[in-house]
Parts: sequence; C-alpha cells; structure tokens
Amino acid sequence: MRKIVIVTTLLLITGSLLSYSILESVSGNYIKNLDARSAAMGQTGVVSTGRLFDMFINPANLASAKSNTGFQLGMNFVNDTENRSLPMYNSFDAYSGEGTYVSNENVFADFSFAAYYKYEIMDFDLVAALSYRPQISFDANYFEEVRNNDNSNNNDFPPILANNYIESEGAVNAAAFSLAADYRDFINVGFEIAQLDGDAKWERKINWTDDAIDKLLMGPNPDSLVLENYYSKLKREFKGMQFKVGANITISPRIAAGFSFVPKVDFDVTGTLDSLDIEDAVYMYYSQPDSLGNAVAVDSTMYSEFITPARMKAGICFQPQNIMKTNFNCDVELVKWSEVNDLYDDEFNFFVGIEHVLKHSIPIRIGFSYETSYGLQNHNGFVFSDKITKPSFTAGTGFTLLDRFTVDIGLQYSYRKYEALDLFMDNYYWQDGDYEALWNVYYEGGVISSPIIQDRGWENPDTVKERFVNLKTSISFNW
Amino acid sequence: MKKRFLLIILSCLSLTLFAARIDLNKASLEELKTLPVTQQQAEDIFNYRFYIDYFQSIYDLTEIESIDQVTLNKIKPLVSVSHYTDKDEAALRRDEIYYLIERLGSNEGLQEGMSDVWEDYLMTPRNINKMPFSEILNMPNTSAIDVAAILKRRANGDTLANYRDLRFSPGISYYGAKNLQHYIYYKDEPSDNKVFVDYQMKFSSSPFAGDESEMYKETMIRYDTSSSQPNTPSIKKQSYWGYFNMESYRTEVMNKIRLRYLNNWKAGLMTNSDKMDTSFFMDSKSKFADDAKYYVGYESEIDLLGYNYLKLYAGNYRATFGEGLVMENTDYYSPRKTGYGFNKRITGIIGDISRTQEYSLRGVAVDWKRDNMNAVVFLSQDKKDAIVYDSNNNGKLDDEDNVLSYITLSERFSNDDLESAEEFFNTYLDEELPYVNDNIVNIAPRLDAVEENLIGGHVEYSPFIGTHLGLTGYEATYDRNFVVPDADSLAHLLIAFDDDAEAKWKMTDAEISSMYSTLTSEYDRNYRRVVGFDWRTVLNNTSFQGEYAEMEVDGSLHKIGDDPSALLMSSYTQFENLSLLTIYRDYDLEFDNPYHRSFSESQRYDDTEFDKLTYGLNNTLLTDMYLNASQPSAEKGFYIQTRYQFHRMFTLTKAYIDFWERKSDARRGVRFEAKLEFKPIHQLRFRLRNKIQQKRYDELLDRGRSTAGETQLECIVYLSNFDKLTLGFTHASVDQPPYLSILANPAIAGAPDMAQAVSHSNGDLIGVDYVHNFNENLKVIGAFAIWKAYGASFWDFEDVELDFDQSDRGYKYWFNIHSRIANNLFISLKYKYKQFMTRELEFRDYNEIPTTGEYYFQRVESNEHYLRLQLDMKF
Repeated sequence: MRKIVIVTTLLLITGSLLSYSILESVSGNYIKNLDARSAAMGQTGVVSTGRLFDMFINPANLASAKSNTGFQLGMNFVNDTENRSLPMYNSFDAYSGEGTYVSNENVFADFSFAAYYKYEIMDFDLVAALSYRPQISFDANYFEEVRNNDNSNNNDFPPILANNYIESEGAVNAAAFSLAADYRDFINVGFEIAQLDGDAKWERKINWTDDAIDKLLMGPNPDSLVLENYYSKLKREFKGMQFKVGANITISPRIAAGFSFVPKVDFDVTGTLDSLDIEDAVYMYYSQPDSLGNAVAVDSTMYSEFITPARMKAGICFQPQNIMKTNFNCDVELVKWSEVNDLYDDEFNFFVGIEHVLKHSIPIRIGFSYETSYGLQNHNGFVFSDKITKPSFTAGTGFTLLDRFTVDIGLQYSYRKYEALDLFMDNYYWQDGDYEALWNVYYEGGVISSPIIQDRGWENPDTVKERFVNLKTSISFNW
Repeated sequence: MKKRFLLIILSCLSLTLFAARIDLNKASLEELKTLPVTQQQAEDIFNYRFYIDYFQSIYDLTEIESIDQVTLNKIKPLVSVSHYTDKDEAALRRDEIYYLIERLGSNEGLQEGMSDVWEDYLMTPRNINKMPFSEILNMPNTSAIDVAAILKRRANGDTLANYRDLRFSPGISYYGAKNLQHYIYYKDEPSDNKVFVDYQMKFSSSPFAGDESEMYKETMIRYDTSSSQPNTPSIKKQSYWGYFNMESYRTEVMNKIRLRYLNNWKAGLMTNSDKMDTSFFMDSKSKFADDAKYYVGYESEIDLLGYNYLKLYAGNYRATFGEGLVMENTDYYSPRKTGYGFNKRITGIIGDISRTQEYSLRGVAVDWKRDNMNAVVFLSQDKKDAIVYDSNNNGKLDDEDNVLSYITLSERFSNDDLESAEEFFNTYLDEELPYVNDNIVNIAPRLDAVEENLIGGHVEYSPFIGTHLGLTGYEATYDRNFVVPDADSLAHLLIAFDDDAEAKWKMTDAEISSMYSTLTSEYDRNYRRVVGFDWRTVLNNTSFQGEYAEMEVDGSLHKIGDDPSALLMSSYTQFENLSLLTIYRDYDLEFDNPYHRSFSESQRYDDTEFDKLTYGLNNTLLTDMYLNASQPSAEKGFYIQTRYQFHRMFTLTKAYIDFWERKSDARRGVRFEAKLEFKPIHQLRFRLRNKIQQKRYDELLDRGRSTAGETQLECIVYLSNFDKLTLGFTHASVDQPPYLSILANPAIAGAPDMAQAVSHSNGDLIGVDYVHNFNENLKVIGAFAIWKAYGASFWDFEDVELDFDQSDRGYKYWFNIHSRIANNLFISLKYKYKQFMTRELEFRDYNEIPTTGEYYFQRVESNEHYLRLQLDMKF
C-alpha cells in the first residue's frame, strides 16, 4: 500500500534555473553552458566556431573544429548571495519595505572535460567527441539563526534560540558522445547522446542552542517539554538518457544560422525520504479552487518524478566588417515548461553576445541574457505557478599560449527577486505558546505584553533577493 | 627613336607586370598564399579584409600585426589595391553622420520620438532651397531668425549652393548654420530607390520609481476609524503592490520598427510591454491591437500652382501647433519647455510610435503647406483611460457611471484585475479583529473607459517672410459624461475618510475642482472644444511669437474673453555670442485642456491631494493624476533666459530667472539657475551650476515658504583622445516650513503648540564619470556616485537618462557599453547598482513588523539592480 506523505517544506517543486540557489536545491540547477567564451557572450552559442564546449549548446558546432584533435577543460565557480526579508509597515500602516533577516553566501565549483578527433572523408569533415560534464547541480546551502526578542529594541544582539540548516549537495553528470559532420563549410549537423547519472542529498535541520534549552528548563513546565533537534533527509539517485541534435547553415560569408533541440528527459529516480522509500513519498496539493475558494482538484507530484523540459534553441552569428574583428551572436530559446507541470507556460529566453578583438589579439566579450523560470508556490493549500525572471550581463576575455593553448575567462552577473514563504515556519519555535519561555515579554504603551509567534503565510511572504556571480574559465588545446 | 622604343617596351612590361599583380581587395585566400608570405600571414591578410576593412592602400598592410616592413617590401611589387567597397550610399552616409545619430539617440528620452524625424533628415537630407519655413524651423537648434534669413535670401532669387553660402546668409547665426548643415542638401536629394528600415529594441529591468512604489505600497484596507485604536491589518496584500505581487516582474520591453522609402513613404510600428506584463512581448492579441502604435504616412513636394508640401498620415500621429496651448499630444511633461534648444517642438503632423499612450491620436491627418500658408485637418478615434466613480451610487463602478478625468497610469493593470483588487480590498475580513472597512473603493481608474472622437484643424497664413498668423482648434466628443462634483462633494469622493475630508481639502485643490465637466447645472453636452490663435513675426534679429487659446465652458466659442483662457507670448533675440529669450504666460485655472503642453514651472495638480495625500485618498492609484500629469499647472509668470559667451574661455551656457504665481492659491515663486563654463584649454573644462528657488505666499507671516538651492561644480578632463574624466560635486539644501507635529515646542506643557524654526535639510553628492573609447566603434562609460541627503534630493544625468536620488544615504555605480557592431547594427548595454538607506531605519524601533515572525533584522536597506539593453538595426 502506498503511503502518502505531505511535506510541509514548500517551494519544493520548482523550475530549473541556471544558477545555484536554495530555490532549486530539490529541482536542481540545469547547467546549459560551460564554456567561458560563450558565457562571456551572453551564453550565446547556437552558432559558434569558437570552442569545443559550444557543442554542449549545439552539437553541430563540433564540426567547425579547425584542427585534427584537441581537448578543453573547464572550471565553473558560482557565488550566490541570497537575502531574505520580511515586510515592514510604517507608522501609517503602509507597507514600506523589507527588513533583511537572513543572508547567505555560498561558493560552488564544477569541472568539465571534452576531447575530439577530426577525420576528413571526401567533402565531409567528421568530428567525434567525448565529454564529461555536470548537467544538473543540486548544490545549495542555507543557514538561518532564530533569535528571540531580547534587547531587540536597543539594537543589541538578542540570543540565538536555534540554528536552521538546509544543506543540499550532489549532481547529475553527463557522459556524452557527440558526432558532427561538416559539408564544405556550408552545412553542419550533429548529435549527442549522453548517459545522465548522479545522486543528490538534501538535509533539513533545526538545532536548538543550549541557551534555548536552559530557557525552557527555567520556564513553567520544565519537565513536560524537551527540545529535540529536527532532522529530515531526502536522498535520491538519478538515471537518464539525453539526446541532443543540431544543425548550422552558412547563409552568407558573414551570416550563419543554427538550431538545436533537446527533448525532455524523464529520469528514473530511486532513494529515500527519511526512512520512507521515495516511491511512496508524494507531495499533495490542491491545484484548482472552485468559485467559493474550496478545494476541488487534488493534485500530487511524486518525489520520484524528475523531468527536465525540452529545449529548442535557434540563433544567428554575424561577422561584420568592423575596425576591430567582431562577432555578434543572438539566440532565442523555447523551453517547454508545460512538460514539467500543467501550471507552467512555455517560455522564451533571449541571449545576445558580442566579441570584439582589440589590438594584440585581445578579445573583449560582452553579453546579455534574459531567462524565465518557474517556481511552484503554495497558497493556503492551493498551488500556483510563479514566474521568475532573471536578467544577466556578461563579460570576459581570453588569451593564447604557445599558439595551441587558449585560455578564456567569462563572468556572468545575474539577479532576481521573488516572493516565497518562510523556509522555517515560526510557530515551530513557539508551539502555540508551549515554548513561551523562550521569548521575552515586552512593554507596549506601558503595558506588559507577551509576543505571539505565528507562521507567516502568503499574507506576509518573504521577499528573496538573489545575486549570482558566475565565473567560468576554460583552457583549450588544439593540434 | 631608341629612347621612345625603350619606353614603349618598358611600359608594356610594367603593364604586364601590373596585370599579374594580386589585387589585395579581390584575391582569394589561395591566391594570397602564392605571395612570398607565410600561410599565417596570408590568412591574416585575408582576415583583415574580411573582418576589418578593404585596403585603401598597400600601406594598410602595416596594420596587420604579423606583417613587418621586410615582408611589406617583399610583396609590395607583387600586389595592387583596387578601389572597392560594398557599402551603399546609405551606409556611407551613416558612417559620415554616425556621431550625430548617436547624439540624437542619447537625447531621445527627452525628445519623445522627435529624434526619429531628425534621423530621417540626417540620412536623407532635403533641399534647403525648397523647404517651407516651418519645415526648416523643425530642425534641431534652428531659430525662426535663422530660417527667416534663409528664406529672405531665397526670396531675393539666390540659391544656396553650399555651406559657405548658408553660413554667410545675412542674419543667420553661427550655431544655426552649423546645426542645420547636416540635415540639408543644396539641391534635390538623390533619388536612391532604397527602403530604409530602422529596428530598435529596448529592454530594461528598471525598478519602480520612489513615488510610484509608494503609491502602490500604500494601504487600501483600513479598519473602522470610529474604533478607539484604528489600525490596519499588516498584510502585504493590503496594497496594490502586495495584491499584484509587484516584487517580481519589472521588465519593460519596447520593440519599434520604422520603414521609409525616400522621404516620401513612411510607416512605423511600436509595441511596449510594460513592467507588469508577464511576457517579453505583449500579453495578448487584443492588447496588441489596442496598445500597439502604428502609422503609415506619405509626404511629398508637389509643384501645383507653386510649391506645395503635402503630408498624409493614417494610424497614430503627433499633432503640435503654436506654443502647445491647444494641441500637443504627448503623455510626458517637461518643465520650462521653451520650444528652443533641447525643448524644441516639431510643429505640424508627424507619425507617432513614441511611448505616449493616453494622449495618442489615432486616425487620419492631412498637413498641406504652401509658401505662405498651411492647412491641417486631423481626425482621431481612440479609447482613453479615465477615472470612473460611482456617480449613481449603486455600489459598483460600471458603464453607467460618470468619469472624472483622463488619467495616465504608471502601470496599466487590466480592468478585470483592478476590479478583483478592489473587491478584495472592499471585502477584506480579518478573522481576529472586528473589522469594518470604512474605505469602500468607489472611484478608480479604468482602461479605455471613454471613447474620444476628436476632430481638429490648423490654418496658418504668412503675409511676408518670418511672419504668420495661425488658428488652431479641436472638438473632442465622448461617449460618457465628464462630471466634476462641487468642491465639497469632491473632497468626500477623493478622500478616504469622511470625517477628515473637508479638513484635508486645501486651496490648491481648486485645480482639481476646476476640471472640466460636460454636464453641469447650466449645460449638458458631450464634447470639449478648444480654439486658439498663434502668431510669429521676425524683426531683424528678434522673433516675437505667442498663442492665445480658450476652452468653451459657459461662454460662446466665437466670443473672445468669456471662457477660460491661456496666453503665452515670447520673444527671442539672437546675436553671434548672445541670445535672450523672454516668455510671459498666463493660464486660467479652468483652462483644463488635456492636450495643453506649453511652458510652465510645474505640472498640474502639484501640491494637491493627488500629490500630497496618497495615504488619504480613497484609491491610492489616483496619485497617478499628479505623477503622470502632463498639463501645466495654472500659473502666470515671466521668464528670462540667456546664453552668452563673453570670453573665449568663459561661456554662460544657460542662465534664467522665472517669476510666477500659482493660480490656485496665489503662491508666488522665483527660480534662478545659471551654468557657467570655463575652458582654459581644450582638454580641461570647469562647469559651475547654481540654482535657487523660493516659493512663498504674499503674507510673510505665513508658514508656507520654502527655499531650495543647489550648487554643482564639475571638472572635465580629456586625459587623451580616448579618455575623458569628469569629477563632480553637488550640494543641495532645502528650507521648508515648520510642521507642528515635528517642530512644535510648547513653552509650558499642555500649552498651545507653536511652530518654531525652519526645517533645514541639506545633502552632498560626489560623483566621478570615466569614458574610455577603445576606438570610434567601442566606448565604455563607468560612473560612481555617493551621497548623503537628509531630506534633499538630486537629479543625476546618467549617460542617456536621468536618475533621481532621494534616499538619505546611498551610493551607486553604473557602466554603459556602446558598441557599433557593424555599419548598421548598434548595441548599448547598461548596468546599474544602487544601494541606499531609507527612513525605515529611523523608525525601526517603532515600526510595526507583522505581529508574527522574526524579531531580529540583520539590516534594513534597499538595493536596486537595473539592466538596460538597446539594440538598433538600420538598413
């Protein structure tokens, strides 16, 4: 018999994004781009003759390899700063802004590798490549202190009651074989087949401090209440197969266009949620209220379900005459979010990038991207989809060593802002008044009052502001 | 004989050798590889030609890093360079005037679509020897005196043959001729059968401006005020901001395409997806049809009984006449719009794909010009956003209700969304506290609430050069009544709580109660009519111009002086190094012409409930009436402006003084501003700007006196031909009247309060800008500013836009990269980060955080990210 578990952790099922954040700690961060040059050019690269890693965007790019063999090694560092705020109201009762109650900053790193070999046959160049790279990352960390109201009016530091943690780690890696063909520098076609394999561990902890334990012991019911730390763990293993196809065509000596397609991937997931087999763990919600606001449609998502949506990407590359050598790339991507959840709409992402080569062959790369993703939000049991947009600007450069080595550096700076529920609901530290001893009385208008700690729902959600700095470096060797 | 034979042989030999030379501009890579160069050098030569430029001479090879002098000497006898380019006339012209196009683009935000017109003239200049007066006057920075000088020469039978001819036309100024030269030809334009295509995409993720965000964040749910402790629920959804989840989406995207065939056929389409739209483009097809702007136009010179110039436009168009008293249809207000310099008006009809939405005209327009006359007829049918109120008291806002006024909304939420929000606010119940909502929303903006059918025209006669008399008028008919209740009823309608309404109603609110009604106790009509006449005459180096307009209210349309009126008269005198502009204006309070955009010091509804009482309004969205007001305030005053270069090194670039009186409450104001530039050497400039403004009532004992001052010093250094550094310091101060609640200091406890002192605020801003040009096609601008401004505020000009820094303390940095990717493709990418402390910090101890939840804040601060991308393609 299948057991049903309704987990109170919200924002559990979210759309995939590019960067590393607690928002995607369960759904994973889909890594589309690993090349430093492409990253610096607004993550464009459907049509690119630049680097081997461009085949990750469009396998047809592989056929543009000029040398007979080579490899590329890439490193990806992500710095994520997340500020969670709660609403503040001024003395005229208007919502006036946010007060930040927790900040988190994390750094993560990934590595990737690819090598190729070119073989010429008649009018065709055939290029084959092997690569190993992270495809989805689950790396994220969240730490929050829960402090009581002692001395808070004097801007002093009130004591810590508990430390809250969400720790997530793991990745799905892709071991891929790619093959591409070029016909007379006119048309390129390519495909990739990748074995996706990986695991992820997600832990949620609440650790009470000695101070909190002492306070409760000194309270009115010292014997009946014992503070126990909370611990929950989700462990998953993923297996899947991903295909990717693409084509490039040279429209004129200066303009080339390309297209790539990745179908959706439905993973086989095994694992445990605490002591429960993941096959039996279900996240339930009401997806449609009736006109009176009552629940009518119950929907659910299996923890064992894990889907990455299909992505179609088209782009052009323009190489104009300029007083400095110039490349201009422009890509559009359609993500079929509706394949992940009925509540999502399919969305377009936009990417623009420029490369100017200054004197002494120093390139300057700049770019822009605009991406949309989804998060599921739970509102009084009803789940609705919340679209989150993320604009980015990018920049980078590179240099050549010993003629055959090329080093690229790319920087992507992005930010986003969205509303979310508290990750650790506050009544847990109040327990409907049972933990009153943890909190201090306060004076309001000369009257002694006792605080009431309640959960904040969607009437006063958190505002989450995130900033991502993504540094990519890669070294290419061609021979 | 022998010598001649030898010469012939040598010539033949050299010709043979020359024929065998490899043309660097045409040779294939394989042919280049046959030269005595390495394979890499051959590829470098080929790549230079492909990526950089065609060779103009053999010596261009030295631009290639791998080609040294020895190699050059080696291949010099073996190669040739033919004249070759693949650029058409338009591309070459674009190269020539690129810096002017860039300059126009940087001013576009202020010009609202006019830069498109000027860019067309830059690309395809028109014949100065045929253009009529008003068309020349429409060119940037050209004065009527300059135009009269040109026309007088033409009238004498002269033909302007070149710039020198133009420059030495008697009476024309140096700057007039210099500015005009790029927009004109001296003969008929070449008939290059080319379709010009201009595409522009602008993306920006700008945060909501301070006033806008305050409006949306203000509470719409209020508890029963009769309760001993009136309170509002501290929930985020109590405001439009929370209800519409305005934290998340802040993306604005504009797509614009213009097509042009010569200077004759023109077409344009613009879509603007505003911040709250959830898609990159417009949300739905119906929204596209309603809100997209488009036009098709035909302009031509016709030789029929003399010179004629005809313009026909269908779709959206701009119509501007005279001084803008009767008709100038833009949503955007510009203070002190003199009609000169950067505040130029383009009069007549032009196609309109600007961001103007509320006051856009959609229909057909004909503009016919001859040497001495001009006639324009325009028709428009468009639905306008308006404020609807529950005039029949049936508890709902519907089609049966009257409207109060036009309104330009900061965000155009759909009517369904607005109704849902109002229902939520009206019916909000708190489970824990007994709750009665005193504030039932019975007045609200609605999209496309009124259909406006507008017919208008303008006729102008010029008896002699530089002089004209014109008549402009329009009638707008509506499918609903505009009804403005009397002041008492209006106070109760607009202000949330009945008990406070009359106390909060001020003299300045006469500007609200004097809005136009189509239904009063004296008449019942469905229209608004405005007529006016304008004039101009040029005498020597001075031009005199003006406009007088009346709006039909309770008088007769044909009788002067019996209806609310507006008058503007100005004169402009120009010498070689000095210009002097004087303007007198007098606008009646009841002159409520929604298309009035003439010179004024402040916009309509300044200091009224719409400006100062957001928190007390029945519906906070009414604040948009002030925030986006485009009509001038009812005022009369006298303005003098000058520009004077009194020394080779010193120029008073702009100095003006304005004295005016606001009609609603007779408050008087004076404002003085001067900008002085000192340029000891070309590479070094100092700029000093000082502004001081005082507003007060005649009664000196009255507490309503405020003084604001600002002093700015800038030092601009050209470090090299590629680098420019600007250092700036600004000091601002504001003295405001004392408010009892803040500065009261009773002598004895319990004694009546007496306001003391003056509230003085001041602030400083330090900024640094750095511009680096990598070359003529790639430019990076970076800037940093830090300020401390308790109560004062700063306007900061950032590259192509203005930023308003009002917060107490803060800093910002931004950079902008301009790249000309190709002759016809331009990109500009800007990022800005701003962090500031807000007043929230001060009342942090007293604020009402939600009664539940965390008690500890790490910090209270605000930050903003802003990203802007502009892409221009021109073919």
